[in-house]
Amino acid sequence: MNGIIKIENLSFGYTPEETILKALSFEVMQGEFVGIAGPNGAGKTTLLNLLCGLLTPKAGSIEIDAAPVESYSVRDLAQKVAVVRQEFVPVFDFTVREMVSMARTPYLGTFGFESKADREFVNDALEITDTARFASRPLAQLSGGERQRVFIARALAQNTDVLLLDEPTNFLDLKYQVGIYDLLKTAQLEKGKTIVAITHDINLTIQYADHVLLLGGNSGYQYGYAKDVFSLERIEKVFGVRAFAGKVGGEKFFLPLGKFAKDSRQITGKSAGGQQE
Amino acid sequence: MVKILTPKKLVLKIIICLAVLAVVMCLCAMTGRIRPAEGPRKISLEKVFAGPGQEPGENIDYEIFVGVRLPRVILAALVGAALACAGVVLQAILRNPLADPYILGISSGAGLGVIAAVLSGVTWSFWAGSPMAVFAFTGASLTVWLVWYIGRFTGKSQITSLLLAGVVVNAFFSAVIMFLTSIANSEQLRSTIYWLMGNITEKDWLVLWVSTCCILGGIIGLFSLCHKLNVLTFGEDDAKALGVKTSKTRVAAFGFAAFITAIAVSLSGLIGFVGLIVPHGVRLVFGPDHRQLLPLSAIIGSIFLVIADTLARTIVAPAQLPVGVITAIAGGPFFLVLLAKYSRKVSWLK
Repeated sequence: MNGIIKIENLSFGYTPEETILKALSFEVMQGEFVGIAGPNGAGKTTLLNLLCGLLTPKAGSIEIDAAPVESYSVRDLAQKVAVVRQEFVPVFDFTVREMVSMARTPYLGTFGFESKADREFVNDALEITDTARFASRPLAQLSGGERQRVFIARALAQNTDVLLLDEPTNFLDLKYQVGIYDLLKTAQLEKGKTIVAITHDINLTIQYADHVLLLGGNSGYQYGYAKDVFSLERIEKVFGVRAFAGKVGGEKFFLPLGKFAKDSRQITGKSAGGQQE
Repeated sequence: MVKILTPKKLVLKIIICLAVLAVVMCLCAMTGRIRPAEGPRKISLEKVFAGPGQEPGENIDYEIFVGVRLPRVILAALVGAALACAGVVLQAILRNPLADPYILGISSGAGLGVIAAVLSGVTWSFWAGSPMAVFAFTGASLTVWLVWYIGRFTGKSQITSLLLAGVVVNAFFSAVIMFLTSIANSEQLRSTIYWLMGNITEKDWLVLWVSTCCILGGIIGLFSLCHKLNVLTFGEDDAKALGVKTSKTRVAAFGFAAFITAIAVSLSGLIGFVGLIVPHGVRLVFGPDHRQLLPLSAIIGSIFLVIADTLARTIVAPAQLPVGVITAIAGGPFFLVLLAKYSRKVSWLK
């Protein structure tokens, strides 16, 4: 296993005075699932935009597959890194298949028609994401959860080593949230994808991610195993909320407690292995 | 049944549409009056194929068909193709289904260029064209960028803000055009105003050939960008993630679109709504894939304008209407229907 994403001493700010990311260093191994967590404004999406070359670092370096990001052409980088942002309804009524076929853009020739091999990648991606059954429907006719699967299908059809996702489960209900994470985990385990996902859901991240990067405003950053990175004190400090920590089947979980929350002693774990701290 | 666009299927569709275009052009060239006094009479194809005859005036049908009608029909086809393609490209890059070179003021930008050329009395000419085409291109390109920047500036989430920008640009240029025409001498004035309304007239063959080459060249250039345009409709960040050099593609697409719009405007003045009606119709039937949308819109645009022009010169014969009147009467209500439709569906990121 070698490091596919290597970040060293990375700093960034949108203006010369401001620093959003400061001296960030970590390495993501090939085939790993990494969750990026942190409060709003901590620089999660900024980091993602740095990783896919939309922004250039102020200091430090980002290497993808042993070469600096800025050394790639747009086209070459698109063959290494695929990005999934929050799903939306496109302006024109492209069908699911047309949309997923666009993943092959970085591989097309002058007049841009897909080859048979390109179509195989598209079919594969439609199968694995379970979107093949509505392949000929326009995106506008799908639910948000289905549409997000289509965006992930497109990223898979792009056939890259790395998949970057910006809050892939935003606005989705519980079933779709778990569905998306299951799908990503499948892509990781079966296709050997390296997955870096920004997430607001600490509990799902603990379940699915191998490593976690916690970005937290003034308190720097933490990178490591989810169980080490997330502790009650740290979450309360980074996110600035009172929280409740519990354990289910050996895995930690956290609940935020608001001003009107009941006393945390009244919350009891329902699951078999549940116990209070 | 899985519908997948392959080059083979596309070529087949293009050939079928071209055949329809050929038939329409032929029929339209035969329609109309030969002499005002005689009333409407169709030219007979037999007589046309008989050739010009020994002396001039011997075969009137042939002379009218080849000398008058055919150039005019070809001109209409060219202008229709150019405006429809410009509409397709503007809609893709501005991510706005209501974009059209006329509505966004790009045609009036080109028109202003033409009028400036006419009034300044610049006389140098290289090919069959004149400074007109160059001035028109400059005007059109500048307007494209102006509208794009205003659209970016006024907010990306509102489908109507860009249209408002276009309306303002259009009104401003129209005012400047009015000003320039009112200080012009009266003879220039009459022909310019008629031209402004969108007017297709007989042109000589050299002008037609050069324009054909330019417009076809522009359309082929745009066709090579079509798969990138598909991705660009999902927004700039998405397009970059899919390996498209967005600014380079945009410059090229705007350049080609301004170029063919400028040629169309310098040939026939301001003809509106072709770039709106035609792409929408084609999209409805064939889907939004630009690799197919662009070439088919070009051909259907030709058919549309050839028919519109035939109507323009036959409805009130022996007088003639500017064809822009016909397209605007058809396009205005169409635009309002679309505006109502898309204003309801503004769920649109960035």
